[in-house]
Amino acid sequence: MQTNFTLAQLADPETARSNDILRKCVHCGFCTATCPTFVLLGDERDSPRGRIYLIKAMIEGDRAPSASEVRHVDRCLSCLSCMTTCPSGVNYMHLVDHGRHHIEETFSRTLPDRFLRGVLAYLMPRPAAFRWAMVLGRLAKPFAPLLPATSSDPGGATFLRRMRAMLEAVPDRVPTPSPVDRPQVFPAIGLQRKRVALMPGCGQQVLAPEVNEATVRLLTRLDIEVVNVAGSGCCGSSVLHVGRNDQAIELAKRNIEAWLREIDGAGLDAIVINASGCGTTVKDYGHMLADDPAWHEKAKQVAALAKDVTEIVAEVGLSNVTPQPLTVAYHSACSMQHGQKLDVLPKKLLREAGFVVKDVPEGHLCCGWAGTYQVLQPELSRRLRDRKVSNIESVRPDVIAAGNFGCIGNIASGTGIPMAHTVELLDWATGGPQPAALM
Amino acid sequence: MSKACRCLPETVPQVSAILRYCQDNKVKVVPRGAGTSLSGGSMPVGDAILLGLGKFNRVLEIDYANRSARVQPGVTNLGITKAVEHEGFYYAPDPSSQIACSIGGNVAENSGGVHCLKYGLTTNNLLGIEMVLMTGEVVRLGGKHLDSEGYDLLGVMTGSEGLLGVVTEVTVRLLRKPTTARAVLLGFPTEAAAADCVAAVIAAGIIPAGMEMMDKEAVKCAEAYVGAGYPLDAEGLLIVELDGPPVEVDHLVERVAEIARGRGATTVRVSNDEQERVLFWAGRKAAFPAVGQITPDYMCLDGSVPRGRLVEVLAEMREMSKQHRLRVVNVFHAGDGNLHPLILFDANDPDELHRAEEFGADILRLCVRVGGVLTGEHGVGIEKRDLMGVQFTEIDLDQQMRLKCAFDPDHLLNPGKVFPQLRRCAELGRVVIHHNKMPFPDIPRF
Amino acid sequence: MAGTIRPRDANELRRAVEWALNEGTTLDVRGQGSKIALGKPMDCGQVLDLSGISGIVDYAPEELVVTLRAGTPISEVEALLAQRNQMLAFEPPDLGPLLGLQAGQGTLVGAMMGNLAGPRRLSAGAARDHLLGFSGINGRGEAFKSGGRVMKNVTGYDLSKLLAGSWGTLAVLDQVSVKVLPVPDQTRTLLLLGLDDATAVRAMCAALGSPHEVSGAVHLPGRTALRIEGVAPSVEARLTALRELLADAGAGMEELGTLGSRTFWREVRDVAALKAASDTVVWKISCPPTEGPAIVARIRSQRPSVEAFYDWSGGLVWLALPQCVDADHELVRGAIGAKGGHATLIRAPEAVRAAVPVFQPQPAALAALASRVKESFDPKRLFNPGRMG
Ligand SMILES: Cc1cc2nc3c(=O)[nH]c(=O)nc-3n(C[C@H](O)[C@H](O)[C@H](O)COP(=O)(O)OP(=O)(O)OC[C@H]3O[C@@H](n4cnc5c(N)ncnc54)[C@H](O)[C@@H]3O)c2cc1C
Ligand code: SF4
Ligand code: SF4
Repeated sequence: MQTNFTLAQLADPETARSNDILRKCVHCGFCTATCPTFVLLGDERDSPRGRIYLIKAMIEGDRAPSASEVRHVDRCLSCLSCMTTCPSGVNYMHLVDHGRHHIEETFSRTLPDRFLRGVLAYLMPRPAAFRWAMVLGRLAKPFAPLLPATSSDPGGATFLRRMRAMLEAVPDRVPTPSPVDRPQVFPAIGLQRKRVALMPGCGQQVLAPEVNEATVRLLTRLDIEVVNVAGSGCCGSSVLHVGRNDQAIELAKRNIEAWLREIDGAGLDAIVINASGCGTTVKDYGHMLADDPAWHEKAKQVAALAKDVTEIVAEVGLSNVTPQPLTVAYHSACSMQHGQKLDVLPKKLLREAGFVVKDVPEGHLCCGWAGTYQVLQPELSRRLRDRKVSNIESVRPDVIAAGNFGCIGNIASGTGIPMAHTVELLDWATGGPQPAALM
Repeated sequence: MSKACRCLPETVPQVSAILRYCQDNKVKVVPRGAGTSLSGGSMPVGDAILLGLGKFNRVLEIDYANRSARVQPGVTNLGITKAVEHEGFYYAPDPSSQIACSIGGNVAENSGGVHCLKYGLTTNNLLGIEMVLMTGEVVRLGGKHLDSEGYDLLGVMTGSEGLLGVVTEVTVRLLRKPTTARAVLLGFPTEAAAADCVAAVIAAGIIPAGMEMMDKEAVKCAEAYVGAGYPLDAEGLLIVELDGPPVEVDHLVERVAEIARGRGATTVRVSNDEQERVLFWAGRKAAFPAVGQITPDYMCLDGSVPRGRLVEVLAEMREMSKQHRLRVVNVFHAGDGNLHPLILFDANDPDELHRAEEFGADILRLCVRVGGVLTGEHGVGIEKRDLMGVQFTEIDLDQQMRLKCAFDPDHLLNPGKVFPQLRRCAELGRVVIHHNKMPFPDIPRF
Repeated sequence: MAGTIRPRDANELRRAVEWALNEGTTLDVRGQGSKIALGKPMDCGQVLDLSGISGIVDYAPEELVVTLRAGTPISEVEALLAQRNQMLAFEPPDLGPLLGLQAGQGTLVGAMMGNLAGPRRLSAGAARDHLLGFSGINGRGEAFKSGGRVMKNVTGYDLSKLLAGSWGTLAVLDQVSVKVLPVPDQTRTLLLLGLDDATAVRAMCAALGSPHEVSGAVHLPGRTALRIEGVAPSVEARLTALRELLADAGAGMEELGTLGSRTFWREVRDVAALKAASDTVVWKISCPPTEGPAIVARIRSQRPSVEAFYDWSGGLVWLALPQCVDADHELVRGAIGAKGGHATLIRAPEAVRAAVPVFQPQPAALAALASRVKESFDPKRLFNPGRMG
């Protein structure tokens, strides 16, 4: 589409990149059809093309956005379904990150909104603090029903409604920290075929430590040495999605530094990530640090090594499978299918492991979790979850699998059907323990 | 996009109340489906309400025995097929935008697709609608039965570009999926030979499910973008699809291949399985974005011409391309003479933008000159509004506007679209009687 | 008795209309007058006879289009097309004998104006779907045109659709362009014997819901027929598949070859089954296909002697009822029910047609809209006034 940036504006690399993205968009509107928020709300400003126009207007005009413009951008889940649909290769992900960054820099949010975003941005990347918050949250959880269950905003984006959502998201039991999440090396069981770093993650190790445990068991059994590298941690996506680019970049640099040390030391064949949301972000580190000459090359090097756990398993292949006669509904997390374009592979592995795998109708739609989204837009999030659950239940599975812990927690909160991480099922089928959720 | 006020009604009474309010207060309204119109048909205008139909997105009833589906207008074209495909049915018109465009928009634009050669356009596959008039009155036209009582208002609503009423429900005809479909990829050393082959196939009494043509430049772009295995040496490429029972398809594929060889085809490839058929189409279907990779912007026109004039029109278009110093790429529905020239330009360069617009207008004038029309499927909208005079006389246009007056006397619905110059209904309604009481003695009478 | 005016070209036609406008005279617009006994009887000041504006203007077989003048007889068009192995796919019926008039009469434009179509309506569409464009004179005496000669055209309103089925009440056409199609290599017919109405309609709907491209589905008392057309190997394969599909219906099966099929379907097209009993009134009902038998059953419960057959897979019901002063119009229209549809009185004595609505009365809002549409073309109501009542 036509753009109207001044030369001075284009001197800013971020703006120049956004200009390139916008120029690619032919405003055909194909992306609207598969956008979850448009499907729910029917308002084009809640569609990718609408948001592209809104973001274009605010950065072109070099001005603070209006509250209504912000509301529509805020409702974006960053599910990237639009990018899968777009035939013209428009990089909405980078554009919306720019838009959020612009909003964060120029728009003054209300005090409660700032408070809430501040709390989330502080807690999310810090597993220890996050764990404490969960423990404290449990004490407050009984009071959640006192807070309003609905709100004037279709997304539920009012302070009290969000507080309620935050409390509701607190699990009833906060698991004890897993020993695998400390820096250490897990040697391959047989003759070592590969050596990989396992991204330890943040929220997942607090809420679902069993995923990293299963990953270590599975990979070492497949003769892969796994390192939990000291200094690596949160990938930065949760803060990036609330527009805090600087904080995200700091987190990215910490990881890059830690992994590079390992690469230069004992060497790494891959950096394995078992939360697809984090995977999408790490694979994009090159872009995140594009404007920092000192870091750009390093970031690209790390990003090139980043792999979803299923990619590495597929590389070495499953062996010694004991099939379990279960029907699995595979929920393709947005970051997996849209972010990393891995849709077929995880299902193929599950089939190889002996499961009957079913696709879920409307599989392209987000389950509504989307990181901090479930707290910031609780009502939209809930509607998407319910829609997802009914679609999943329509294929009558014994178990639901997914490759992203957030989706697992979210979907599990709406259905009685047990859920497990893909890795847990693969681990089980190749000699590991039965996943706890299935017992 | 932000100036206009918008409404997102959810129910028919709400639509009715909005329109009645607008009529009473003389407020203009622009109905909008998915906003994929290529003619600016759903573009908001400054002082009008934008009436979004995005919330009307439910499938209401599927009746397999009567082969019909009743849906709300915001359901996407593909959404209808998705709702019935597990029973082996589909909705035939398949615009390339089918993933996104709404069935209400299809009705308003009378959209077609690559398969309309055999299966018809929206108008031939529509059984009924419910619509709201500017007065707020709700009327139903047609239903699950064929043909209307009284005037065929359903027919005239189809393709009326949102100027006559707001469609709130649509009943379409469903078809059973053909047992098989195979595509034939034909490369020719000249465009003329390709066009000749199109005429020969039809003259042989074969109506393929689709018959598409691409010029060399389009083939090059598509091949680079999706790698469909198109022959890069061909000056004209045809994709011919045949569907039906396997024996028929095999038989016709052979006949088409024979005709093509007789016309000097240098490539004749027949799809051997579904995957290959889809691959043959992939390049054609991605032709627009593929062309988008080699140019900052493109303008897509869709004039129709008699099939017999294709070659001449293409040649003249090349000449114009030199004159206007802009490249043009051609992808089109050859089976029904519906061109899709894509003019390549850079919208950020004001001079190029201007030249592209001039070039586009020249192409459309050419279409009309050879006996064709301005638009075969994208509608007039804003884009071709000012060229209406090329195809129609003032009287022709007045008659169309009078029909508009019967539906919307204050010109409130989708203002500024289709008609180059609006005349007040009162003025149009006046009957001028020429008082020459000549008895016409020369006309035979009994 | 009104006089007749017979223009010889478009210009004379325009002047004739202008004259009528001047005189305030209404016009009874006719091609060959083959359907004068259909519709509301009229009392017009003048007959406007279009048979003088006749002849083929252009025929381009590879374009699948024929352009012709308004008075051209169907028979002439069909003969021309047959030379190139093409046809009018919507099968315009010859209702002459049914209406008690001569057979083989009628202009193509006349059939267009009635939006008449035969059994292939199911797969190929009605007359409306084949009218690509026209030129004509509106009720202001102005020459105007719409549409064109190309298959795909969305430039301006699709007035061709509106004119098709307007029974000459909106404008007088002088020239039309019509889409034509190749004649299929082969036509064969599968006959199912002895099915009752409901079973027959179910079988027809099943056949149409199959991928076997049925191009005609009619149920006459005791005989249900499905038409299959196309290239020989395909016809064979589809017939076999249909036999299998319908094996459960429990009917005896027979087949008609190409020649037998042509005769059979021509008779269906021309409603030959009902033409003999000239002392009956004839109705045609368009309804959702599965509703046909129920509608007939409701009527039969009141009028046991009703004769009925079902074309269009059940979606077009032809009825013959004993004559009576009001043609049982309330009974017939009342039987249609909530699932939708409409009934047209096709044959009845003039006095009866004058007394009852021939065409289905419309809800108020729609009727008012239709009346405004009429006015937009013919403000002084010159053309065929009242014919569509
Ligand atoms: C990449 C691309 C490819 C395309 N390919 C094709 C193709 O192959 N064939 C083809 O025919 N078209 C094609 N189109 C054009 C477009 O998709 C169609 O015209 C489509 O029917 C528009 O539908 P929409 O829902 O987007 O309507 P909109 O763009 O929202 O509106 C179109 C018009 O319809 C009116 N309208 C919409 N909804 C209603 C309603 N409920 N009641 C009354 N009026 C209404 C609007 O006022 C407007 O005038 C293509 C478009 C794109 C971008
Ligand atoms: S990322 Fe998801 S929610 Fe955001 S615009 Fe794209 S499809 Fe819509
Ligand atoms: S699909 Fe791509 S090109 Fe089309 S509007 Fe969306 S982002 Fe733009």
